[in-house]
Amino acid sequence: MNAKFLEIAITSAVKAGNTLLHHYSDVLDSTIKESLRDVVTKVDKLAEQEIVSELMRTFPDIPILTEESGFIGTARTSVLNGDEAGKNLSQYWVVDALDGTVNYVNHIPFFCVSIALIQNQKAVVGVIYNPMLNDLYFGTIETGAFKNQNKLCIKDKPPEESLFAVSFSGKGFRGEGTEGFAGRKSDTMQRQEEFLAFGAVNDSSRGCLRTGCAAMNLAYLAEGRLGGCWGKANKHWDIAAGLLLAELAGAKVQFSLIETTKHLAHYLAATPQTFEYLEQKTKAVLSY
Amino acid sequence: MSSKKILLVYGAGAIGRGFIPWVFPPKDFEYYYVETNSQLRNQLNLRKSFTAYKTTASGYVSLEVPILKCYNLSEEKEVINQVHAVLTAVGPRNIIRISESLTKTQFPVLCLENDFSVPQTLKNATQNPNIVFGIPDVITSNTAPPQLLEKDPLAIITEDGVCFIDEQVSILGGNAKYISKKEIVNQWLAKLYLHNTPHCIAAYLGSFTHKTYIHEAMQNSLVVTTVSGAMEEMKSMLLKKYDLSQDFLNWYCEKELQRFQNQLLFDPISRVAREPFRKLAPNDRLIGAAELCLSCGILPSNIFIGIMAAFCYENPQDPDFAIAHLMRALNPQDFLKIIIRLRPAEALYEALLKGWDVSISFLRSLSSQKVVSHEC
Repeated sequence: MNAKFLEIAITSAVKAGNTLLHHYSDVLDSTIKESLRDVVTKVDKLAEQEIVSELMRTFPDIPILTEESGFIGTARTSVLNGDEAGKNLSQYWVVDALDGTVNYVNHIPFFCVSIALIQNQKAVVGVIYNPMLNDLYFGTIETGAFKNQNKLCIKDKPPEESLFAVSFSGKGFRGEGTEGFAGRKSDTMQRQEEFLAFGAVNDSSRGCLRTGCAAMNLAYLAEGRLGGCWGKANKHWDIAAGLLLAELAGAKVQFSLIETTKHLAHYLAATPQTFEYLEQKTKAVLSY
Repeated sequence: MSSKKILLVYGAGAIGRGFIPWVFPPKDFEYYYVETNSQLRNQLNLRKSFTAYKTTASGYVSLEVPILKCYNLSEEKEVINQVHAVLTAVGPRNIIRISESLTKTQFPVLCLENDFSVPQTLKNATQNPNIVFGIPDVITSNTAPPQLLEKDPLAIITEDGVCFIDEQVSILGGNAKYISKKEIVNQWLAKLYLHNTPHCIAAYLGSFTHKTYIHEAMQNSLVVTTVSGAMEEMKSMLLKKYDLSQDFLNWYCEKELQRFQNQLLFDPISRVAREPFRKLAPNDRLIGAAELCLSCGILPSNIFIGIMAAFCYENPQDPDFAIAHLMRALNPQDFLKIIIRLRPAEALYEALLKGWDVSISFLRSLSSQKVVSHEC
């Protein structure tokens, strides 16, 4: 049973969410990381610290993969010595204390905390908390997915009646030594492929959003608000919890960890009726 | 060809199987059932009948109920044009699932649900204008004591109650009491606040006494005191807010307390406590009831204890089992804000927070049997 894991993940996510909310109006500085869109604030780090303390206090032996600090815990040395991040771990947490940092620093109220527990390379517990709306999404493989009081279930509609969302990578990826986007050296052809896929979906459905918060996209898919979402070279911590919740709510999910040291993954998650459509439209982009 | 009226009954649970045959008896009615529980459905189809029991002052009276067939949901379409009326007893959460089969029908649909808005929801979904509300003023168990189950595993027990039905469908006949829409509203208010509220409080408190049935929980004096106290709080609210007579309310409260203590009924705590989140909805029997009291200047301290007991309800088999995890995971402020959706400025939020530790301590002592129990 993953009940204890779930409870501590919820405690941690809500604590961190309260911290994000507390500092929402006074975020002044941010630092650029790997691209213009990849930024970090002091609040990210503060919220992450809270989550890490809470998880470590209860589960001191379970390593934590975080956005801001990489692997923390007993696995740190072994992971740093090799590049197969997480591959040899029986279980570890994946934490994003603030998914949607750019939204957060621009005071756009669409961001969240995301925490997942991975066991044997498969997410088994997922929690996403949007503190602006008091929306708590949570689930385990045993129990299914919930939002606050309600069990989550996708709404399975055809593509032309569905709304989609994409999360573009700030970097792009074609393999080791990849070149980046958004202010770094760019791979124009690769980016064009992504924009073409985005346009194709946008023009043959209710639309395709780029919300700046992949975790919330997946939570909205689980809730039946979106018909599907996809992302290329996304960070594992952005999507680990959301993919689990979407799958538990009835979505079909494809996920591939394409680069282990940077924890990059391609993913596609959609309702049964839209999955094939989305797969076709994004085929050129999401080559696994 | 039979001259009996044919009823299609959605839900073969407590009300559907245990009470409806007493209101619409087999001598005048035939029944198709729709039931999603496959085990129950198979048993009904295998046996083609079940035994309904009614409690009386001297024991039980029985009624043999033959059935035509029990369908899984949506399979009933093959007979839907043969029926004279449809009755629903599926629970408000499931009502929309049955609407597809009833779309554009014209026959009377009687909703025996614990939510006054159900007929309108169903009217909107089906475009059938002939959908009305009915109030089973009764407690019906969804099971029976072992000696009756031995004779018939499908046996089920009800009290000798009344079914109030909107007179719009009086053509249905049977043993129902057909009343005006205004009277339906009064009966509903009494049922919601003088029956539903204290009944579920008895169940949530009962779950802390480690008992199985409501009448067993009602043997604990602290449970009785809290349940009666909640009833008094609701009665005061109904007197202040609605035009209901004192005599009617007194009679109703007395009747309800006796019911909860009916030792023949074997009403499971898990049935009455089922789906705490639904019962904790803003306008429902716990949060809604407490809000109404506060708006009338009444401090509902007994209802607060009932609400806390619902927050702490722990049953892994319940659809709302997550409430227990959320209570453990969140601090009181976050639980009230995120899960119960109360705003920190609200009076109820403040009141619940203020009494939080005392209520938890009361429930713990109830659970650990430190409280001395008195037989009633």
